Amino acid sequence: MSDSILYCSWLIAAVPLISAILIIFFFHSSKKLSAFLSIGSVAYGLIHSLLVLYFTYINPGKTIEVNFPWISAGAFKLFVGYLIDPLCAMMLVVVCSVSFFVQVYTHGYMKEDPSYSKFYAYLSLFTFSMLGLVLSTNLFQSYIFWELVGVCSYLLIGFWWYKKTAANACTKAFVVNRIGDAGLLIGLLMFYFSTQKFWSDKTTLAFSELKNAIDYSVHSGILPVVGVISITTIAIFVLMGPMAKSAQFPLHIWLPDAMEGPTPISALIHAATMVAAGVYLIARTYPLYVSSPVAMGTVAWIGGITALFAATIALSQFDIKRALAYSTCSQLGYMVMALGLGAYSAGLFHLMTHAFFKAMLFLCSGSVIVACHHEQDMREMGGLKKHMPITSLTCLIGVLAISGFPLMSGFWSKDMILASAWEHNKPLFILGSFTALLTAFYMFRLYFMTFSGKYRGHAHPHETTPSITIPLVCLAVPSVFIGLIGSPLIPGGDKFSSFIHFGETHLHHEWGMNVFIHELMSVQGLVPLGAFVIGTFMAWLVYRKGFALNTYIQKNLSFVYNLSFNKWYIDEIYSGILNKVILPAYRVLWNVIDKVIVDGVFVNGSARVVSIVGGGLRLIETGRGQLYALVIFGSVLFSIMFMLTKFK
Amino acid sequence: MFNFFLQHSLSIILIASIVAPVVISFLPSKEHICRKVTLIFSLFILANILILIFTKFDPSLPALQCVENYRWFGDTIRIKLGCDGLSIAMVLLMAILLPVTIIASESIAKEKPKLYYSMLMLLTTSVLGVFVAQDLFLFFLFWELELIPMYFLIAIWGGPNREYAAMKFLIYTFTAGICMFAAVLVMFFASGAGTFDMEVLSKFSKNIPYTFQVASFFLFFVCFIIKLPSFPFHTWLPDAHVEAPTPVSMLLAGILLKMGGYGIYRICVGFFPDILAEFGLWIALLGAVNIVGAAIACLVQDDMKRIIAYSSVSHMGFVLLGVASLTAAGFSGGIFQMFSHGLISAALFMLVGTLYERTHTRLISDYGGMTKYMPKCFYFFTLASMANLALPALSGFVGESLVFYGAFSSKYFAEFPTRLYFNYGQICVLFSSLGVILTAGYMLWLLQKVFMGPENTRWSKLNDLRLSEVAVLSILMALVILYGVYPFSLSNLYEPSSKALLDIVTKIIPS
Repeated sequence: MSDSILYCSWLIAAVPLISAILIIFFFHSSKKLSAFLSIGSVAYGLIHSLLVLYFTYINPGKTIEVNFPWISAGAFKLFVGYLIDPLCAMMLVVVCSVSFFVQVYTHGYMKEDPSYSKFYAYLSLFTFSMLGLVLSTNLFQSYIFWELVGVCSYLLIGFWWYKKTAANACTKAFVVNRIGDAGLLIGLLMFYFSTQKFWSDKTTLAFSELKNAIDYSVHSGILPVVGVISITTIAIFVLMGPMAKSAQFPLHIWLPDAMEGPTPISALIHAATMVAAGVYLIARTYPLYVSSPVAMGTVAWIGGITALFAATIALSQFDIKRALAYSTCSQLGYMVMALGLGAYSAGLFHLMTHAFFKAMLFLCSGSVIVACHHEQDMREMGGLKKHMPITSLTCLIGVLAISGFPLMSGFWSKDMILASAWEHNKPLFILGSFTALLTAFYMFRLYFMTFSGKYRGHAHPHETTPSITIPLVCLAVPSVFIGLIGSPLIPGGDKFSSFIHFGETHLHHEWGMNVFIHELMSVQGLVPLGAFVIGTFMAWLVYRKGFALNTYIQKNLSFVYNLSFNKWYIDEIYSGILNKVILPAYRVLWNVIDKVIVDGVFVNGSARVVSIVGGGLRLIETGRGQLYALVIFGSVLFSIMFMLTKFK
Repeated sequence: MFNFFLQHSLSIILIASIVAPVVISFLPSKEHICRKVTLIFSLFILANILILIFTKFDPSLPALQCVENYRWFGDTIRIKLGCDGLSIAMVLLMAILLPVTIIASESIAKEKPKLYYSMLMLLTTSVLGVFVAQDLFLFFLFWELELIPMYFLIAIWGGPNREYAAMKFLIYTFTAGICMFAAVLVMFFASGAGTFDMEVLSKFSKNIPYTFQVASFFLFFVCFIIKLPSFPFHTWLPDAHVEAPTPVSMLLAGILLKMGGYGIYRICVGFFPDILAEFGLWIALLGAVNIVGAAIACLVQDDMKRIIAYSSVSHMGFVLLGVASLTAAGFSGGIFQMFSHGLISAALFMLVGTLYERTHTRLISDYGGMTKYMPKCFYFFTLASMANLALPALSGFVGESLVFYGAFSSKYFAEFPTRLYFNYGQICVLFSSLGVILTAGYMLWLLQKVFMGPENTRWSKLNDLRLSEVAVLSILMALVILYGVYPFSLSNLYEPSSKALLDIVTKIIPS
């Protein structure tokens, strides 16, 4: 029973694909049927993946790997298949559950939209690609699905193609991701090239053999740890993929713009699942990073810088979705930093908790946006608590969870990360704690600006329909409680780290109230808590009590304010380089080479020379194709006759 | 009886394509009649090829199959037809594209339908002939024959500047033909084989004095890269494409360019492995320059058709890079790339053609928000763009990743180390990967400018794709998806031949 369920887990991904195909080709005219198919398929996936999680949990150490050849050329073989291990089981549940709730929510959010069925088809397609990525057995297959989730994201950001901003955003998202993908592809090539011999009788680039491959190549001296072609370089090239997908500095620019897509997409793709795929890939290729301290350091610092950098931008944004997008960026930074610090379980734990509460926060913002008649500017909101009790309550839960209110899910995962930062890298601990302070501040700013005070807009806000509020309530439950599985409060202690870990780990942790109190009373426990309290208090002072810190900074420290408000001018710098330097240079290059040198000098020039020299030939060169054809055939005929006379 | 047909199916398809123009010339001058008759002939050819592939043709054999050898001009010049996996893959591509093109010709061929369809079938004869001819002289004749129908197809049914484009095409191709003719003669006289049989010549080519070998290699090579096309002989292609009518563009990009690639495989690799191994690095460099340079050119165009044309140059660069790598993956990837680019570029030209037919402008700035009026066109365009930028699970990806892998891991390139630790071939790959990013840039930028954003109300009266257009595009895209998801279905066909070619080369390079 358990085996057959595990061996059928490819169905979890295949069923959404089938539903996408059915909707696209047959049922796109029926709204009901397409919603039913899409939601039904992911509901099936959720049940199946819960079973998979259960069976993986009760059989620790059991992994299933099935591979099929995909293409081969000489000794070069590539495979596709599916791999079930604890990490995969956890991701399956996260993806399916968030996707399920988002799809239910979509029904309420998009019901007026003429392309309702198409939206469901894309959602199913995305769910398939994301699950395919999670189930991948090897790096190459990951790359395939990696690009497929990218293209789904492209289609969904550009769903409202008639908006100029959306059209720009989807192109930008894809191209920026392509930069990362190119790096990833080079990384894969270099890695496979260096370890070619190792893979001759194994599944090419299989995750399960990655560690052995690296050990083999390091021990046999093929691949040094540091150098131009080395583990470090490969790891950093591979890292480019996750950097683009998980919106890490300096490739983060696409994520905030991606908010032009419909809100369910922002919740599903650009908060909970696809953007976390980068973190997932780093986790999957962890052996690569572990063997190179430089690569680990790079990962940690990129994560840390992104966390702080995005948080500083989130402080001053007025668009509710953009503020949340920068917050996502910052939280992803935490995850990447955790992995870079060697806190494998902590990073993935934060991935899981973040998926639930951030998806919920985005869905809340969507609910608010619907209620305010598609107004996204927080300055036009306020006082919505009265009108939307359910949304405001769930949003508060989400805000508490992300800022690290004790015992809520974000508290546990963030504490785990900061604790390991304290252990391994003090500067990153300070950076992370300061980011936690900023997080509490900007999240409560968002909450206060939206839900408390007086309503400043001109619409007539109202609570949204049940198909929107029910997913909110359902997601609120894990947002509060899911963190407990990684806490020392449950019997047996930290279950998450015992289930998902890298390398050897002790399966039994200390547990009990005393352990919790003891951990909380240490520096690494008190500082994040203090950061939460200070951040929340400041937000309360500024946005509830009218303490004019924000206007003070705006007026007297306008440089700092502008830097944050204009996102550190990164977009301006990039578009300046692109439009002022690269494209004009390309234009000149093309004009000079193609128009002047090749066409001008080579082609037309030689024609001119010919026409000057051979003025007399004008009688023959009439420019008529027929004549030329005649000449060619004549010459051919002549040469044949010539040869016939020669070879008798 | 059936077996007799199978044995002679190569000559049967050639004869069918020769008979077709004759039959068409007796038809009334009505477009739909001519089209249907031509379609019947093309389907007959397609059916023949499919039957051949699924019955008689054994893809696991690297040798020539279905060989027919007839005396023509004495014993020296013979009609020798035959196919191996490489030929049959290209013939299959032609056979798939032909009916598709004929269906797409509906609106173009209103003027002089008889001549148009005769020319189309004449073109088919020449293309099929090039792929199945196993006698060098016959190969050359078919190669030159292509010039005539193509010239007329561009010069009669083309756009406003068709005279210039057709003449440029003619001059370039004629130059290519002269190069090849010279090379053929050099091969014949210098080898002393006393025959034009390509199988025999490939064995005798080692006896040729070195200078003659180099000379004929380069003459052949120039001829093929004019056709491919490659820098610096590529400028005829954008002009020809821009002026050619849609179906002709489809054929031009879809199959005629592949004649160049096929020639490189068949002759440059098959005849002159030593010379190839000597200049392989330069060819790889040329490939990388094509991939990136043409992608750069795409980014600064304002004419839709020019973008797709330069994009062809960029994608054919992969063929050069793959061949030059002298690895199994590179060879296989180059062939896959030719096939998949044939399908994808045909679809893209078809899509651009459908837009042009309705709006009579190719300037990107004249469009915007076309999705509103032509949603089906938008879906197909998105899919084709994704295929063109090598999205995994679509066929473009397979070829490009194989080529990249082949060039990166090539033992041959490893003999050219640099101070940067990467060898020259690897640096070419790293450089070419820039093309992957640029391709995404120009394709999506095109898609955005044409189909997204605020709509241009000038086009509010436009009709979406017709049923025939949807059918054509569906066939092409279905194949693109099939070969992308399950590449074995194509690579099985040509893999042994590609391996056999590789074996010729690897004997030369010391391992």
